[in-house]
Amino acid sequence: MNYLDKTIVEIHEALLSKKVSVLELTKEALKRAHENSDNAFELILDESAIKKATELDKLPVPKDNYFFGIPYVAKDSFSTKGIETTGSSNILNGYIPLFDATVIKYLNDANAVLIAKATLDELAMGGTGTTGHKGITYNPYDASHEHMVGGSSCGSAVSVAAGVVPFSLGSDTGDSVRKPANNVGLVGMKPTWGLISRYGLFPFAPSLDHVGYFTKSVEDSALALNLLSKRDDNDATNTYHKRDDYFKEVSKDIKGKKIAVIKEISTSIKDPVLAKKFDESIEFLKGKGAVVDMVSMDATLLSTIYPAYFIISCAEATSNNANLDGIKFGPNYGGNTYQEVMYNSRTRGFSPLIKRRFVIGSYSLMSDNQHDLFLRAQKARHMIVDAFNEVFKKYDAIYLLAAPKTAPKFNEASDKLSDTYLLADNYLAFGNFGGFPSMTLPLGFKDGMPFGVNITSKPFDEKDVFDIGLALEDFTNLKGLDINMKHGEDK
Amino acid sequence: MRAVNKEVLKDAANRLLFDMSDEEYNTLLDEFHIIKEQFELIGKIKGVDDSTPMTFPFEVTIDCLREDIPEKPLSKEDALKNAGSVKDGQIKLPKVL
Repeated sequence: MNYLDKTIVEIHEALLSKKVSVLELTKEALKRAHENSDNAFELILDESAIKKATELDKLPVPKDNYFFGIPYVAKDSFSTKGIETTGSSNILNGYIPLFDATVIKYLNDANAVLIAKATLDELAMGGTGTTGHKGITYNPYDASHEHMVGGSSCGSAVSVAAGVVPFSLGSDTGDSVRKPANNVGLVGMKPTWGLISRYGLFPFAPSLDHVGYFTKSVEDSALALNLLSKRDDNDATNTYHKRDDYFKEVSKDIKGKKIAVIKEISTSIKDPVLAKKFDESIEFLKGKGAVVDMVSMDATLLSTIYPAYFIISCAEATSNNANLDGIKFGPNYGGNTYQEVMYNSRTRGFSPLIKRRFVIGSYSLMSDNQHDLFLRAQKARHMIVDAFNEVFKKYDAIYLLAAPKTAPKFNEASDKLSDTYLLADNYLAFGNFGGFPSMTLPLGFKDGMPFGVNITSKPFDEKDVFDIGLALEDFTNLKGLDINMKHGEDK
Repeated sequence: MRAVNKEVLKDAANRLLFDMSDEEYNTLLDEFHIIKEQFELIGKIKGVDDSTPMTFPFEVTIDCLREDIPEKPLSKEDALKNAGSVKDGQIKLPKVL
């Protein structure tokens, strides 16, 4: 066990007591990044990281700045000034942003040390970790490389799960932080829509896009939200809603909290190991004084979360990526007209998968189809959000297994019309539809692979999410989990 | 709703200024069988057409303006840094006329 395998709070204490230096932490993080064989990195920033770490070691460690000297990784869809940022897409090869994303600025101002940019599904449009221009990103729990890490924040998830860093930035449009968190045993947080500035994050579908992040503990997750959620004038959708001191206020006292388990989603999960562990966790929560009820929702409505998400996200993506034209930035392959320059750049720059998604978006926006597809999906979204808001009128949080199974294998087929697929495997997008704060954390292991639970609450009620998560860590004993921490089956 | 065939999908791609290979169109046509069945589920929601479209997760009201702070704009040199084709301080494109 190295200090790098500890949580942010623990590393901060070690830095304060001079048990470790920023340079030692940074060198170890860089070493691990280079040794990692999961294809998690677009770029490893040896020189700038070592330089910053050396400078930081000349300064006193501020007691109240937990991110001082903490090595971190950012998904390569966050703009980083002077550092190539591609979104794991060939269409942005060589693109060097002229500014930092707001969250990068916050982390850099706090003197966290950016050690690498992480791989993602191309332009964040995917959930498998297989579509980036550098190829497949693998799950660090599986040396045979048969299991997915999931996506789109695949490299960010690997960075923390493999013990390279204790914190990484991702983004979540459907479940792109919370699903990989399930697959690699991490705390993956997506707070309320608009709470964290998205300035400098490559947009995919702005009505659904959230900045999210990975940590190894709930306490660290609350700590990170304190830093990242500061109000930003550069993002017009960044809320003026009051921010709390999430770290100071997080408490494992959940007595009297009302928790709903959605029956239709829960019962569509057939894996007995996952179901048993989940049931045990419910008994634990009850034992801590929470009221946990099985709540029924309209199954037809729930089964449309994924199709509605798919239509809305693909349609929004078509316009949000219209600026990728090979003219202002990205490779320019020439042409006889300006349209031909764009056509050549986009034909060669986008991979087959996201082209197909763009075509689906374009098809659903055609005047003949708009009513039956795009507008109807937006209407379904409204009904879905209303239905969940009804649940939140009576309950503080919704609690469910984050996925129906551990990380799937690459060659695994699934019935895309089944309840397991439409309900259990893809329900997390309801959190993006309604902008609800939503967090996945590890619950247990099956066959050496981790699986997790998800807690979602109403907008701006991050406290209930963190409190329930913190209480659950006493049940799971998986606080601080990474691949270097020993774990047993079905702990 | 417009029928799905290769020509329609090619039109959808060309509207976005890119093209795909025949193999990619065939893959998408295969995928559309499932996608259409998934899409049709939405039409089965009781009362869906009486609902109103939701464009953002919740009401967002920004009723104040930023402080009017003078800032230096991006320099021409910086603005052109990422462009692949530049001439005489401007982005160069093929002639329109």
